Order: sequence, then C-alpha cells, then structure tokens
Amino acid sequence: MAYAIPAAIAGRFLLSFTSIYDSLKYDHLLTSPLTSYPRLQEGVFLYKHGIDPYSGGGFYHSPLLLSLFSTVLPQYSPIPQLLWASCDIISAYSLAQIWRLRSKDETGRRDGRIAGSYLLNPYLFLPSLALSTSSLENALFLTAIVFACRGKTVPSLFTLALLSHLSLPSVLFLPPFVMLLHVSPTSALASATKESTLRLGSSIKSFFIFAICMSFASVCNLITTGGWDWVYRTWGTGLLLPDLSPNTGLWWYFFTEMFDHFRPYFLMVFSVHLLIYVAPVCMKFKHDPLFAIFILQGLLAIFKPYPTLSDPGLFLSMISVFPEIFPYLRHPIVTALLHLHASLLLPLFHSLWLAQGTGNANFFYASTLVFGMANGAAVTDCMWAGLRVAFGQKDGVEYVQE
Amino acid sequence: MFKLVMWSLVHVLVAFLLTTTSFASPESEAEAFFQRNDAGGHTNNWAVLVCASRYWFNYRHMANALGMYRTVKRLGIPDSNIILMLADDVSCNARNKFPGAVFANSGHNGAERLDLYGENIEVDYRGYEVTVENFIRLLTGRVDPSVPPSKRLLTDSSSNVFIYMTGHGGNEFLKFQDNEEISAFDVADALEQMWQKNRYNEVFFMIDTCQANTMYSKIYSPNVLATGSSELSENSYSYENDNDIGVSVIDSFTHHVLQFMEGINKTSHASMQDLFHTYTFESIRSHAGVRSDLFRRPLDKTKITDFFGGVAQAGTVPPVSEDEEIEATNITDLEGSASSGAGSYGAVLEDFASSEHAFGAWSPSRAWGAVAVLVVGCGVVFSLSCQI
Repeated sequence: MAYAIPAAIAGRFLLSFTSIYDSLKYDHLLTSPLTSYPRLQEGVFLYKHGIDPYSGGGFYHSPLLLSLFSTVLPQYSPIPQLLWASCDIISAYSLAQIWRLRSKDETGRRDGRIAGSYLLNPYLFLPSLALSTSSLENALFLTAIVFACRGKTVPSLFTLALLSHLSLPSVLFLPPFVMLLHVSPTSALASATKESTLRLGSSIKSFFIFAICMSFASVCNLITTGGWDWVYRTWGTGLLLPDLSPNTGLWWYFFTEMFDHFRPYFLMVFSVHLLIYVAPVCMKFKHDPLFAIFILQGLLAIFKPYPTLSDPGLFLSMISVFPEIFPYLRHPIVTALLHLHASLLLPLFHSLWLAQGTGNANFFYASTLVFGMANGAAVTDCMWAGLRVAFGQKDGVEYVQE
Repeated sequence: MFKLVMWSLVHVLVAFLLTTTSFASPESEAEAFFQRNDAGGHTNNWAVLVCASRYWFNYRHMANALGMYRTVKRLGIPDSNIILMLADDVSCNARNKFPGAVFANSGHNGAERLDLYGENIEVDYRGYEVTVENFIRLLTGRVDPSVPPSKRLLTDSSSNVFIYMTGHGGNEFLKFQDNEEISAFDVADALEQMWQKNRYNEVFFMIDTCQANTMYSKIYSPNVLATGSSELSENSYSYENDNDIGVSVIDSFTHHVLQFMEGINKTSHASMQDLFHTYTFESIRSHAGVRSDLFRRPLDKTKITDFFGGVAQAGTVPPVSEDEEIEATNITDLEGSASSGAGSYGAVLEDFASSEHAFGAWSPSRAWGAVAVLVVGCGVVFSLSCQI
C-alpha cells in the first residue's frame, strides 16, 4: 500500500509526457468553454499580439490566467502537462491534509487511500490530462479548505477569492468557509445539537477580508486588461450563457431550445437555483461546516452553468474524508451503478451524436440527466447520512423515528 | 488589518494610474469620419432608374435607363442597391434586328455599338409592374408585405438616392406606360414622405422628358438636388437614329450626361458643378435646368460619385512596431478600392486600430505588472498568515 501513492504520482507525471492531451483537448465532457485549454491558448496568443482577447467571443477565462500564462508559465509542451500534474499532486496532498486535520490523525495511516481516491479517480485525472483549468480550480478549492481548517483566515479567503475569479459559482462557498474558519474541522456530525461558536463580529470581518481579496484580484485583472470588459466576459458567461456548447451540465440543452423572450427569466431562475442551496445547507450543518462545504460542492457541481467531470469528481473523492457517514449511506450501490451507467453512456452518446451522427442531442442530454441523477443520488445520500449520524446508537438501542 | 486596507488602496491607485485610453464617444468619432472630405454624411448609395414608356418606338427611353444603369453599376453601386423599372419589351421585340440587345449609340460611321442589355442586368420591376402606384410605394416604403426585398428601397437616413426618370412628359406630369400619369406633386409628396421617414440623406433627381424641369418644380423636401432636360413648353429631343434598328436610340440630355460620365471613374473628384457647367443649349438642344435651392451642400464640393458611385473609404493604419511577428497592415488611402461596398464604409478601422495599438503596446508590461502584483499579494498574505 505504501507504494500506491508514489506509483500513482509517478504514473501521473509519466502521462504528462505522452500526447494524450491532443486527443482529449476538445472533449466536451472533460472541458467546458470556461475551462478549455485551447481557448486559453488562443486568448493568450491574441493578448500577446495586442488584440483584446475578450472582443472575440470565444475566450471566457479569467484575466488572472491570461496574465500568468502569457508571462511566467510557458506553453511549450510538456510544461503545462507537468503543471497540471503538480496541481493534481497538490490537490491530493491537500485532501490528505484535510483528512488529517479532521480526524486529528497524525499517523497518516489513511493518507494513501485519501490521496489515491483523488489521483485515481477517472473523473478527476481525465480532465487534468485534457488540461482543463477545472483541475486548477479544484487545487485552489482544496488548499482554501486546508487553510480554513487551520483557521488561517486571510490565506483561506484569498485562495477562495482567486477561485471565485476563475469560477464565479464558487463565491457561494463563502458562508460555509466563514463558518469553518471559526470552528474546528473535526467531525461534529454526531453532536449536532451543540452550540455554534460563530460570532457575528468575526464573520463580518471575514466577509470584509474576502471583499478586499476579491477587489485585489479585480485590480490585477484591471491591470492585465486595462478595462472592466472582463467582468462581463468571464463572470457574465456563467450568468448569461452565451456559449451553448454541450457539457455534462443541465443548462445548455434547456437554453438551446428556449425562445429569446424567455431567456432572461430562465437565466434568473437557474442562477437563483444555485443561490437557494447555500442558506439551508449552512443552517442544517452549522455544527460541521466542513460537511456543509462538501454537500454544497456536490450541489453546485450538479447545477453550475458550465461543469466538467472534475466537479462531481471532486465530490466523490471528498467522500473519503467523511468515513463516519459510510455506515449510514442508504443506497451506495445504486449510486455507484448509476455513476457506472452514466460514465458509460456519456461518451457513447456523445460520440453517437457528434462523431457518428446516428444519434442526436437528446441522447447525450439524456445521459447527462442520468449523470445528474447519479450525482443527485450521491449528494442526497451523503446528506441523509450526515444527518443520520447525529442520531446514531444510544444506550445500545437503535434510535428510530416513529 | 490596517495594513490590508492601505495596501488595497495603493493598489487601486496604481490601477487607475495604469489604466489607459479614454476614448472620445463613439458617436462623435463616427460622425467626424463620415463628415470628412465633405462627404455629406452618407454611407451607402442607391439608385432608382425608371423608364416610364413601353412599345418599340420608345426604344430610346429604354436605352436611356439602361445606359444610366450601366454607368451606375460601373461606378460601384451593386445590383442589390439598384431598382430598375423597365417595360422591358424592346430587347426581345419581334422588330429588334439585334435580338437580346439594346444599344444606346447608332452604328453609323462604323462605330462600335455597346450592348446595354447583355447578360448581367437585373430588372426589378418589368412590364406591367411599372406603374405609378408601384413607383410611389417603392419610394415611400409602403409596400405590401409580400413584396420581396429585392423590389424594395431599403434605404436609411444615411443613404444617397439617385432617382432617374425618363419617358414622355409634359407640364408637371410624366406618362407611365401609355396608361396613367404621375404628377410633380406626387413626386414631391413621395419625397417628403421619404424625408419624414428618414429614408434618405440626399436625393439627386434627374429627369429626361419633354418639359422635364416642371417635374421637379414642386419638390419641397430638404437635401434634394434636381436636374431636368428641358424647360416649360420645351421639348426634349433624341440624339440620333440608328438606321438598322430603325428608331432613335438615345435622348440628347441622357446622352450628354452619359458622355460626361464616361470620363468619370470611381476615384474621380469631379463635382456636380462640373457636370452642370457642361450643359449647353447646343449640345443638349434644350435648356437643361438645375434646382439646388433645397440642397445644403455647395455644388462644387458635391462629388459626382456621391450619387452615382458606390465608393468605399479607407484610412491608413500605423504599423504595430513592437512585435515583428505581425506584418504591418498598411491600407493606403484609396477611394473606391473595392466595388464590394455600396457607399463609403467607415474605416473606423483607423480609430479602432489605434485603440488596438494602445492595447498591444501595453500588454506585455500589463501582464507582468499583474503577475507582479499577484505575487506580491500572495507574499503579503502568506507572510501575514505566518504571523497569525
């Protein structure tokens, strides 16, 4: 078992020297218009040649990535592949750190399994091989959680601010992060009734720090592009959905066949739909904010505007950090089979629609719905189990609701 | 905490200092471009060429209209911007010795006859469709919904429209298809409707009939320049007969104008005043008239190509010197570079390119600046965290 992780890491680095990227870079499952690496390359090219990359309409990446990739990060293969492999390693390490902080386990006995659940998850390493920037987002997300678990306010909120600049729905993680900063990350699922240690003053201070970090990153973006166009082009993409490329999410199909006069209304509905999950999840899991972040991540992964496979993949990998819920999962096999089903159907129907031409978009969207159902089953099961842990066994008697 | 606030304020200040280019408003830039060279503010050209006669013996009216059509096309207005109304019963007429051809010059003295009909003409209203009602509906835009776009006058408030009419006319009327008449008041009212609906920038109204000048005497809308072939109580005469065709092939006034136009190409700077100064009683054999009281620009500054041609304007772009990888884009100052444009196309390129130039000049330093700021920020954040 000790060799598993070094082998996985070595394998991951070895894979970055192959040319597997070339066959995966345009895949609609692994990348979305917001995360696609060829689009990033195009934007950087335009930027370097003095043309505003946001004026074209195919480039939706944040100016942060634009500035980094046009200066310090070279684009000669295999350096981006190595960079993505390093991000994977960082993410796996962060996940293991989260486990250590949560379980107060210094021995690192389970580290291998946790890191393995991240590195060997095909939903995560395939987009990473395709150089989808969602892997960078995952790395930022997990490091932000590590800082939050350690109680380091400013680094955690700074990383979350950078993440929000790359992917706007991540701004919804702010409330549970603020909660997590002020409590210990250890599992409190079993002790749901204890008083929350959250203070209003410290929360407001955290919000303010987050606002400063967001504006700092905005200032960096302003310096990069010299204007405020990027706000409309990057964040506005998730809100206005200009690009209807197929992806594993639920938005694109709806909006391809929508009449124009309904568009604003449904865009509002879909965006507000994301908002409505934040408050209930945080309130219900205020005793264990790390679990709240976990559940919220799963929900956002299903309903975000431009997801890739790595968003629900992160959710599935993070389950390994919460082993206390495993006994209480009601239908893990059904969820697993649904995921198996979806993961077989998605590439099949995608190819049937776009490569062979014998299917149509409905096939692919149906497999996307199955995938959404699989993720939904996973999230609801984990939510149930997280709540069920609080009841547990008392006095040797199984507590059952009448 | 205080350090954070100060540091963020400093960064905001830096950003404001580094932000470049405040543009003039786009509207004033566009207006400045379109008004230069005394262009008069038009961006596209349209032509409405009407031959109001039918039958073989009115061959010359068909040839008038087709001659104008050819000239206008040669000078750059595309078919999509030309509405040609002809009875079109001449070229395939049983009496036509040269079937499928319409000539505007006679073949005597061995002169080469120029075929105006050819293979490449687009007649929009032909035969019985050439009526007064259709003409007025065309001008005012009040057409039936079933009328296809190729038969509509799709002008806008920056279109220069050239209206040419020929046929048999009299005191304030023009005969249509030997059947009905259009009066000068109808024409004036149609033009006023066009003005009210912002359907033209400027109109050049040319008419070649007997007593033609009376036809434009009743116009009362602004920005209309008009010219006609003969005064009240005066006839307009044909130019020459062709012995093989057997009828007159062109009218004097139109022939005179077309001769003048043969010396004009797309890059010509000849003005309307130059054209009007060539009117003589000896060459036209009637008193051709000009009405310019409604026209706001001076005639010597108004170019022929403002009405007759579809001229594109372009401007020079300074080369992007920083990056050798891009070839310097030099568009030399042409007038009438490509016939693809029906009008002066905004090379707001010049201003756009200069703004791009500003963007490009800064981008490497911008990117490095942003990265430096980001790195400094990260450094501060993580050093702060070590203290916490």
